[in-house]
Amino acid sequence: MSGIVEPTRTQPLAIDVRGIRRVYNVKPKPVVALDGVDLAVEPGEFFGLLGPNGAGKTTLIKILTTLLLPSEGTARIFGFDVSRQTKQIRRIMNMVAGGEQSGYGILTVREQLWMFSQFYGLPSRDGWNRVDELVEAVGLEEQTAQRVSTLSTGQRQRMNFARGLLNDPWIFFLDEPTLGLDVSAARAVRELILAWKAAVPGRTVLLTTHYMAEADELCDRIAIVDHGRILALGTPDELKKRVQRESVFRLELDRLDGGAAALRRLPGVVSAALAAGDQADGGAERRTVEVNLALVDDGALGGVVGALGGLGSSILALRKSEPSLEDVFVELVGRGFGDESTDDDHTADAANGAADKGAGNGSVPGLRADDPNVTDTTDDAREREAEAIR
Amino acid sequence: MTTEPAIRPDAAGLASPEWGGFDMARTRGRGWPDVRRSFTTAVRLGWQMEANWTDPVLFFIYSVAKPLASALILVVMLDVISGGAKPEYRAFVVVGSALWSFVLSGVSGLAWMILDDRERYRMLKYIYVSPSDFLAVVFGRGVARIGVGAMGAAITLAIGVVFLNVPFDVSRIDWPILVTVMTLGVGSILAIALLLAAICMQTRQESWSYPEAAAGALFLVSGVVFPLSVLPLPVQALGLLTPLTWWVEGVRLALFPGGLTAIGGPGSLFTELTGTAGPGAAMIVLVLLATGAMATLGALAVFRASDRRAKDRGLLDQTTGS
Repeated sequence: MSGIVEPTRTQPLAIDVRGIRRVYNVKPKPVVALDGVDLAVEPGEFFGLLGPNGAGKTTLIKILTTLLLPSEGTARIFGFDVSRQTKQIRRIMNMVAGGEQSGYGILTVREQLWMFSQFYGLPSRDGWNRVDELVEAVGLEEQTAQRVSTLSTGQRQRMNFARGLLNDPWIFFLDEPTLGLDVSAARAVRELILAWKAAVPGRTVLLTTHYMAEADELCDRIAIVDHGRILALGTPDELKKRVQRESVFRLELDRLDGGAAALRRLPGVVSAALAAGDQADGGAERRTVEVNLALVDDGALGGVVGALGGLGSSILALRKSEPSLEDVFVELVGRGFGDESTDDDHTADAANGAADKGAGNGSVPGLRADDPNVTDTTDDAREREAEAIR
Repeated sequence: MTTEPAIRPDAAGLASPEWGGFDMARTRGRGWPDVRRSFTTAVRLGWQMEANWTDPVLFFIYSVAKPLASALILVVMLDVISGGAKPEYRAFVVVGSALWSFVLSGVSGLAWMILDDRERYRMLKYIYVSPSDFLAVVFGRGVARIGVGAMGAAITLAIGVVFLNVPFDVSRIDWPILVTVMTLGVGSILAIALLLAAICMQTRQESWSYPEAAAGALFLVSGVVFPLSVLPLPVQALGLLTPLTWWVEGVRLALFPGGLTAIGGPGSLFTELTGTAGPGAAMIVLVLLATGAMATLGALAVFRASDRRAKDRGLLDQTTGS
């Protein structure tokens, strides 16, 4: 729950959130989806909200896109209040969500995009021109005359991006935009986001995701969110350094007489252990030895290298291990993204999850959610995407 | 895994267009022209969605066959019960049922737009967060459905005249009254439709049947196929407060001057209160104007409140399934 809030400035912040709280009055007890969030995003930033399902990411994005009112607190987009100055905000922002099959199936891609250009107030001719430009930019030239209902999931998401860019937004809200896409389509979406952002300096992006690699790749700064609170905020490197209290190296040696214990006795060594493979088979069949080494700081490495020479070992490879955002998350929350919440968390997660993606997300119209023929596309998609990113 | 076409970072569409960029003037709207653009775009969208010309059979069944069948059922019932109905009774029933298909399309249109766009197409939230006038968009979509309903009503009337011997003389039509009551009537239908749309904004996907249920209730009290005088007095009073009652009466008066009245007559509350056999054209227009205005103001207030509540509760993008 922190952010950069400067008291005096001439240019308004792209996003200025102060004390936002959002409570859903559901039975059996109200659920706090956002619990006093403060956030400041500068114009031109690529900002990520990273958190597990039900963390409150989408609730925040819905408030910022004027789709939902906050229970308490204020939020401003380029100085405009999300509760009272919605028209101004809507002219300079746009949004795209992932994991949904949205669109008027009977219309062609071109027709649908033109309709939205009209909703954004573009003169008709400008609207057609803008649609043609964007269709080319997102790589949908061959599908312009195709009905929306016939598009693949990836093509539909490209069309959604074209819709989202129609009004040349100052700030683009992306709510899990790669959810449900296969590897290739997800990569194309990430490339598109980066290309759009790079095309004009000053464009701002707020991305929510629960894919750590995606956040790490795209974002200038990241807020890690869980249970409606911002737990940490900073650049990906800053966040990683928070959990990197020691310098961790992996050494590959030609031999190690005396085993890892010989290393533990060296000055500056916090811990030393043989890599898992070497432990399992005792290194009998291996010609090299791999050791995971934690030092008090990088400066201790010189002493270790010198001491290894004294032990008759030659270093074949040395790699410094960096913590991942997942390490940061586990450190902050005490559990990974895929781990179960505690029982007390379930209600909040369910409410946030419903708010995040709609209670029936992924369901097939006309079929019940408990119908065995209905696939939970959301879960499938998440697994595919997680695998793709890995 | 699909093969995705490459993204072109140099594509013109990714740069700012001439009218775009970081110009604070872009945060200001143009007022009425924006509202008009929202409305006309929604009408066009609605027409493409509702008049699904790619499936003419479906379109014919819903827009023509259904209202026509309803009118024929009523005429045949009337003939069987009365042992051969007089032509003026046929006119009464055919006009009423034709207009009712119009009402049904109209009052359903806006509510179904909310439900379809929110839960089926999942586009309501994207329309809502655009700078378009949401009310104008909702009305625009409803107008398209009213247009489809009007076609069904016109065909039903034409078949009534040609095949059911409904006495119809074009030279006797009171055009000023017809135009006036149709204008006010469509306004009233849209008001009721807006009210139902406001209700459906708060409810689940299954509530698509609410508009039909409401139209059915109004059918009973609006003198569509039988005069109000056959109803209990409290129900008659309810009917007299409904703009649709006066609209149907006005259309009948304009198309068939001197024909049967659904409002007045022996045993009717109207005759009891006013001492006259039936309302004249001026009274019909005035009461239609008054009740229509009340319905419109009430519907606007309820819609605004519903919009606010939906935004407060996060209902604008909910997908409740069924």
